[in-house]
Amino acid sequence: MFFHIILERNMQLHPRHFGRNLRDNLVAKLMKDVEGTCSGRHGFVVAITGIENIGKGLIRDGTGFVTFPVKYQCVVFRPFKGEILEAVVTMVNKMGFFAEAGPVQIFVSNHLIPDDMEFQSGDMPNYTTSDGSVKIQKDSEVRLKIIGTRVDATEIFCIGTIKDDFLGVINDPATA
Amino acid sequence: MTLVTDSPVHSSSSEDFASFLDTHLTSTASDSSANEDSDGEEDLESKRVKRHKVEVLDIPENTHEPTTGAGTSKIEDICAHPGTFGNMCILCGQRIDEDSSVSLGYIHKGLRLANEEIVRLRNADTKNLLSRKRLYLILDLDHTLLNSTLLFHMNSEEEYLKSRADSLQDIENGNLFMLEHMRMMTKLRPYVRQFLKEASQLFEMYIYTMGDRPYAREMAKLLDPRNEYFNAKVISRDDGTQKHQKGLDVVLGQESAVLILDDTENAWIKHKDNVILMERYHFFASSCQQFGFSCKSLSELKSDESETDGALAAVLRVLKRAHSLFFDELGDSLPNRDVREVLKTVRKEILQGCKIVFSRVFPTSFPAESHQLWKMAEQLGATCLVELDDSVTHVVATDPKTEKSRWAVKEKKFLVHPQWIEATFYLWKRLPEDNYSVNQL
Repeated sequence: MFFHIILERNMQLHPRHFGRNLRDNLVAKLMKDVEGTCSGRHGFVVAITGIENIGKGLIRDGTGFVTFPVKYQCVVFRPFKGEILEAVVTMVNKMGFFAEAGPVQIFVSNHLIPDDMEFQSGDMPNYTTSDGSVKIQKDSEVRLKIIGTRVDATEIFCIGTIKDDFLGVINDPATA
Repeated sequence: MTLVTDSPVHSSSSEDFASFLDTHLTSTASDSSANEDSDGEEDLESKRVKRHKVEVLDIPENTHEPTTGAGTSKIEDICAHPGTFGNMCILCGQRIDEDSSVSLGYIHKGLRLANEEIVRLRNADTKNLLSRKRLYLILDLDHTLLNSTLLFHMNSEEEYLKSRADSLQDIENGNLFMLEHMRMMTKLRPYVRQFLKEASQLFEMYIYTMGDRPYAREMAKLLDPRNEYFNAKVISRDDGTQKHQKGLDVVLGQESAVLILDDTENAWIKHKDNVILMERYHFFASSCQQFGFSCKSLSELKSDESETDGALAAVLRVLKRAHSLFFDELGDSLPNRDVREVLKTVRKEILQGCKIVFSRVFPTSFPAESHQLWKMAEQLGATCLVELDDSVTHVVATDPKTEKSRWAVKEKKFLVHPQWIEATFYLWKRLPEDNYSVNQL
């Protein structure tokens, strides 16, 4: 799920960036530092959409660096248990398959793939129904349900299932 | 504004975020709850209320400490937890922190499977593979499929190679690569492309190397630029379960269907019967030195192993023979066949029909039948005799002046050095006897 929230961060800025462009430099550094990172609490920071407020800078003794408290608006992405997500399959093997939805890595075990789908090894490993009408392979798009999540400092892991109504392949690269 | 005061800088657990969302969503409906939230930021009591709210509303929680102890154990009773991904059960999504399972980091970091699950997968996979007429083949990298050296280990006589390296843009047609970022130079063994292509028709192939993971990945890219053969089947020393040992426990195949190609038998103590030993490929001088050879390396001599008659071509013949024996000539039902037995049969064909007499090879008091060379000869399918007769084909001796040696010369039988048996044993083919005549050595 995506959220638009306000976060705060203390930014340390080198004295060489002071001057007319201080604000721009601060914002550029903030984007570089924050976008694409992950936090256990908020999930993945997709983009900074605006600066709410920049507080008074505090000069650090000895170094000359200045710390600014910056409040900014950003879009974050965080998966939840029970959420339905669309993801791209990255790897298929006999244990199940791995899929990605942006920064989120999802594993769907073969226990949670419908029983009528069987693993076929070969150059392009895949799960296929007995009549061959549905096939999950690398680059397939699947709709899955999250049954477990773990958000680390830098990564998000999820366990997914496609053993439920309306879940499974939504776009097959082979037939597209 | 409430959002601002509820800044995450102060809060400590993920529920706060969930509750923050919760509050945010309901704040439009009830002003009082929003106020309470903003006022009681540091207030423990309000935090407790928030947590309570989270549970009641059943917003998914990912806390490190189990919030509902009873619920956790109840789920554990039902689910067998066949494995974990990122410390979560792959079946129920429950958080699991214990470590009794086997890590399969070579497939995906964070994936671990319990032993029962591995056994289940192994059985299913082996059955599937056998029905497609394939076996497993595990390949070592260094000295088996290729030879690598660090750039600064290269001596002046090898400098010319640096200008001859093939382009990394066209891996498929090259065999000598300079990997600047790893400060390495790698030479693929002659015939390796053909070898992999043909072997992939008969086997499901794994790479298993004592090198580290980045090295293993890089080499897999050189050997398999189109990712046809080793898709997620590259095992490095980081993935093994024992130090300085290679084991089949991370391989999802049954031992009775696995063949191993390696230059070091000692790495596979538990699986010696599966191993086909390879003659080491030393291309670079540093590699020769490492094993204590003082002779010139292939690179210094500007030569290489033969493309059509080298070790890989020889071993491919052995593999093909073993494969056809396994599938076409064995009478047992498929699951009962054992490739280790097949390997012994293949070995027995090598010196079929040879009758060997040993002369002063064993100490007089030593029981000849239990000597290493005698056993080797028998495993190779030769018949060992104690006394000379007309049917004898080979006399093995170290001294050309013994009575039996002279008999061999007179009767025009082969007179060979014991090394002939050893070399034949390790190279899986009957070697020309002339190269091992007793006088020469």
